[in-house]
Amino acid sequence: MRNLIAFFRRFRIFLYFALLQGIALSTYFTCLSYPRSQYLTTASAVSGQLLTYRNDVTKHFQLPYNNRKLQYENIQLRQRLPESFIKVQGAIFKIDDTLQRQQYEYIPAVVINSTVNKRNNYFTLSSGKSSGIYRGMGVFSNKGIVGIIHNVSDHYAVVKSVLTEDINIDVMVEKNGVFGLLKWNGKNPKIGTISSISNDLTLKKWSKIVTRGGSGIFPRGLPVGKIKSLKTVEGKPLWDVEIYYSEDYRKIQNVYVIKNLILHEQKELEKKIPSDEETE
Amino acid sequence: MIEIVKHSIRFVLFLLTQVYVFNHLEIGLGIQFMIYPMFIFFLPNTLNVFLLMTISFILGLSIDSLSNTYGLHASAAVLLAYGRPYLMKLFEPRDGYPPTTDLSIYTMGYVWYATVFGIFLAAHNFWFFLIEQFKWSEFWFMILKIILSAPLSLGMSILIQLLFFKKPSTR
Repeated sequence: MRNLIAFFRRFRIFLYFALLQGIALSTYFTCLSYPRSQYLTTASAVSGQLLTYRNDVTKHFQLPYNNRKLQYENIQLRQRLPESFIKVQGAIFKIDDTLQRQQYEYIPAVVINSTVNKRNNYFTLSSGKSSGIYRGMGVFSNKGIVGIIHNVSDHYAVVKSVLTEDINIDVMVEKNGVFGLLKWNGKNPKIGTISSISNDLTLKKWSKIVTRGGSGIFPRGLPVGKIKSLKTVEGKPLWDVEIYYSEDYRKIQNVYVIKNLILHEQKELEKKIPSDEETE
Repeated sequence: MIEIVKHSIRFVLFLLTQVYVFNHLEIGLGIQFMIYPMFIFFLPNTLNVFLLMTISFILGLSIDSLSNTYGLHASAAVLLAYGRPYLMKLFEPRDGYPPTTDLSIYTMGYVWYATVFGIFLAAHNFWFFLIEQFKWSEFWFMILKIILSAPLSLGMSILIQLLFFKKPSTR
């Protein structure tokens, strides 16, 4: 017993160090995959408020760019209004049809904090649960996808952006439907990579990459980027595809959060697929 | 007493500048400016190690909560606080440290400061980027980040001292 106490006295500095390291590292590695609480992230009320103050100043720096973007989108939408159409045939008019139903709803949000130079970059949004945002929803801007909601509090949300290592959004080449998983190698915020495309499939440089919509987070066909370069992975029959993102994440401000109204249906169906162990 | 007030103000200033300014300086290649190690470095030499580690831990956690790193900065800051007494002992000048003043470029000279704070920053960046990447396949990219980030942060810290630290009056 005396020896034990002597041991603790002797190594008390190191033990205290190990304790603090343990706390820090365990929070880091658990929060990386699944955040238990919104404290210690920018979703917490205090941090969110502080970042809002900062954003109140810095949002003006990118104003021309974001205004142009919104204006462009407005034009696109305005072109679809009834006023923009001319009636070619008087006898036919549109009625409210029952063949189509709303699947996706969009919630507007503002990015109040973002980084692009870390290995895993998270963006903070100024809307949270009170606006109907929940964990796992997709986020995009009119030029490209942004990420997936990682953590929410009442008035703020943290997005795991496409500038993180294992974002794993399923994307496809628009023309021929070849698909793979989106990743980021941490080097350049303009360039992403796509993994797991077999190299017997033909791909062309500059072909457009869009979302595949497989997991129900993003609708099919949202822009992601363009293929920048193709290389074969050494020793594996796979393409190493690099893409230019269509959105400039260094300037991003206005985004939309996607709410899939019938996601539970897809989830329930997919739950019925027998897992691999049972089929063998 | 005055020391406590001084260091508390510094705590807030270093925290805010790190989170609001230096975290948003993006010059590519994964370079990150780390300014808050200066705060840990300038804490009084006579401070108890436990208190030193606790203060560093709190500083790190505050930075984490404002930049979505979930404990990464806290881990690196605690490592610095743990290693600081050893480093100070190793590089102690022949007639000891000057009492109560900061160990800045004015009191200790450029060479001493650049060596000791350089080692301090290199250790911090190594730990920080190692945990952040956590992958051996990206090892050389990590080394590149450290080689680029540490000298830039060192230069920035000297610049901050030249701009904002009072030169102690010489006789």
